[in-house]
Amino acid sequence: MNQNLTRRQLLAMVGAAGGATAIYQTGMAMGVMADTGAVARLDLKNVGASKKNVVVLGAGLSGLAVAYELERAGYDVSIIEASHRVGGRSLTLRSGDIVDEMGNRQVCEFDDHPEMFFNAGPARIPGHHRRVLNYCKELKVPLIIKGNFARNAWMQDNDHFDGKPVRVGHYVADARGFLSELLYKAIDLNRFDQPLSAEDRERLLQFATTFGDLRPGGSYAGSSRAGYDEGGFLRPAVSREPKSFEALLNSNFWRRMFDGSERPDWGDPLMEVDGGMDGIVKAFVREIASPIRTNAQVQSINLTSSGVDVVYNYKGAPQKISADYCFNCIPTHFMPGIPNNLPKDYREGLAALIPGNFMKIGLQMKKRFWEEEGIFGGATNTTQPINAIWYPSHGIHGDKGVVLGAYVLFDRVKEWDRLSPKERIRLAGECGDRIHEGYSGYIESGVSIPWGRMNHMMGCGTQWTDDVRERYFKLLQQPAGGRHFMIGDQISYHSSWQEGAFASAENALLELDQRVRAESSQTGMG
Amino acid sequence: MMRRLSVCTAILLISTMAAAEEPIIPADEFVYCTVCHGVQLMGNEVLGAPRISGMDSYYVERQLRSFKEGWRGTHAQDATGREMHPMASALTDGQIGEAAAFVEATRSEAPVSTVIGDKAAGEMFYGTCSACHGTAGEGNRELNGPPLAGRNDWYLVRQLQNFRDGVRGTHPQDVYGQQMAAAMMILSDDAAINDVVAYIVSLDL
Repeated sequence: MNQNLTRRQLLAMVGAAGGATAIYQTGMAMGVMADTGAVARLDLKNVGASKKNVVVLGAGLSGLAVAYELERAGYDVSIIEASHRVGGRSLTLRSGDIVDEMGNRQVCEFDDHPEMFFNAGPARIPGHHRRVLNYCKELKVPLIIKGNFARNAWMQDNDHFDGKPVRVGHYVADARGFLSELLYKAIDLNRFDQPLSAEDRERLLQFATTFGDLRPGGSYAGSSRAGYDEGGFLRPAVSREPKSFEALLNSNFWRRMFDGSERPDWGDPLMEVDGGMDGIVKAFVREIASPIRTNAQVQSINLTSSGVDVVYNYKGAPQKISADYCFNCIPTHFMPGIPNNLPKDYREGLAALIPGNFMKIGLQMKKRFWEEEGIFGGATNTTQPINAIWYPSHGIHGDKGVVLGAYVLFDRVKEWDRLSPKERIRLAGECGDRIHEGYSGYIESGVSIPWGRMNHMMGCGTQWTDDVRERYFKLLQQPAGGRHFMIGDQISYHSSWQEGAFASAENALLELDQRVRAESSQTGMG
Repeated sequence: MMRRLSVCTAILLISTMAAAEEPIIPADEFVYCTVCHGVQLMGNEVLGAPRISGMDSYYVERQLRSFKEGWRGTHAQDATGREMHPMASALTDGQIGEAAAFVEATRSEAPVSTVIGDKAAGEMFYGTCSACHGTAGEGNRELNGPPLAGRNDWYLVRQLQNFRDGVRGTHPQDVYGQQMAAAMMILSDDAAINDVVAYIVSLDL
């Protein structure tokens, strides 16, 4: 069997890649309503005199969006929130804020200063999350650019390159260079059973040369893209020496780098809310006139013939609300612990979802030492337990700054959960010391937010297996008994993103609107 | 009218609760319990938090102390126990007593069965268990055997496995846990554990 790639195979591969993209785009365009691209503003029918009332369970982003929209459409809305605060996982921590971790209550001890805050939940808004952006525009929430992929930040692995950090730009330039050199040689050998045409061959060689910044003849011998070791302004530039290809390949950085920087959700430029991501929460709260009750924990949810009855505890006494409709963004994994009479398959679907787990650490640094290393925003990646360090894109050249000192996902969170908040800060500092000299010495105070241990949360990033998605997703997108809508990022394909929460809220509201319109046309009202 | 549980009323409630079926409103510091264990501590299998509604306060108190001291909930394989450990650690001695009173005062519907086992075979095994846990799984205060009826079957299975595998009941200070671990001689394999649990959940308190 011939091991060489035939020209036909090569072109077929290119064609297949293009085809997949085309199929993806077509697929996205096939939805009933726009799910990507321009998303139209909701235009819900005003219920006016019919005075329909709605109870919203949970003051997370989806619950707030529902309350905001329904209030505008003339509904009577009440919002019930179990925790002491509004916003759910959209949590920006500042001086004096409580971190209500189960068994480890902390107080944020950052300086009381407008730049000293930490987005413990959502922190990044990509340009294609149109619902988030629409709300920011409508509610006049100011946005700034947030660096995510930064060539001057670091890659660091204890087991490779002597454990020393490597500049992201250096790594990327070398990786592309080596890959291109391989491609160049393969083309140059031209050992295809049907040789490439002279034109194809020339174009591919040019492509490889440009992609990897190769020297004439197709070798990679370093690139100015890797950054300079010296000079470039008054003296000739000396590019960084290329790393060895073997070391690069063994380092495993490529696993996260090529994924992390090239997905649309993480692709620069991202945005964040000026002054903290909870600016979105505050804007909703400012606009919403309906009562929002915090420290109000739901005790039961029951569908009735004409609506939904909700009992909750508030100020030491049980309260009951009978509403026409209920919108529920309580984490699905709490639903098995709340008595309810929702349909059996619906309850099974809720119980089949697995709570995910994220942890973030925010560290107030007494000096913006990273700026002296040429880093202004963006992220360092490491194979150490902290996974990443993010540098603030705001407050540049200020005296101090708050960095993200760890961002840990799923199973790797467990080892952190077991540590006390103090031990977590110490470990984060030790990891940072291997990346930035003197790192731990700059830490003035820190907060850790393990979402799987946060009161009234106990998870983040709901996990749907393919089987569960297939069996229950559509069911849970529909209202139980036509009255109870499960919402939140948990009921979307974008769990743990604000856009997922808003998309789910929008979907439920459109469903409600359809029902209300159908009802009013039947009764001749409207 | 439902009542909010405070230190004083808790003690009152213990004696009167048998007749009362009203839901108890937890004091603020015990809302934490309901986050995982559910409304009225009805249990939540998704979070691995068992139903503890109405559990004897002496036993709850002992277990909370055991968690707090690290006699329980510190073994590397005890994932859910390790989640409980910091919760108990945050409680003062006084709060442990109050928490136990709150737990005992809660009521919820009996749990649904989830474990499949051979009840007849389980009944044979249970003969030994009944010496301490009562013939109807009602428990025996004098012998320090907690009630088993009314607990989630999946939770009983997990605990029996933990006792068998040295995950629970190995700490020298955990005297009663050690007794239970020793009693696991009769239930060596998973099938036997499922059988005996299937029998226990068939008992009606």
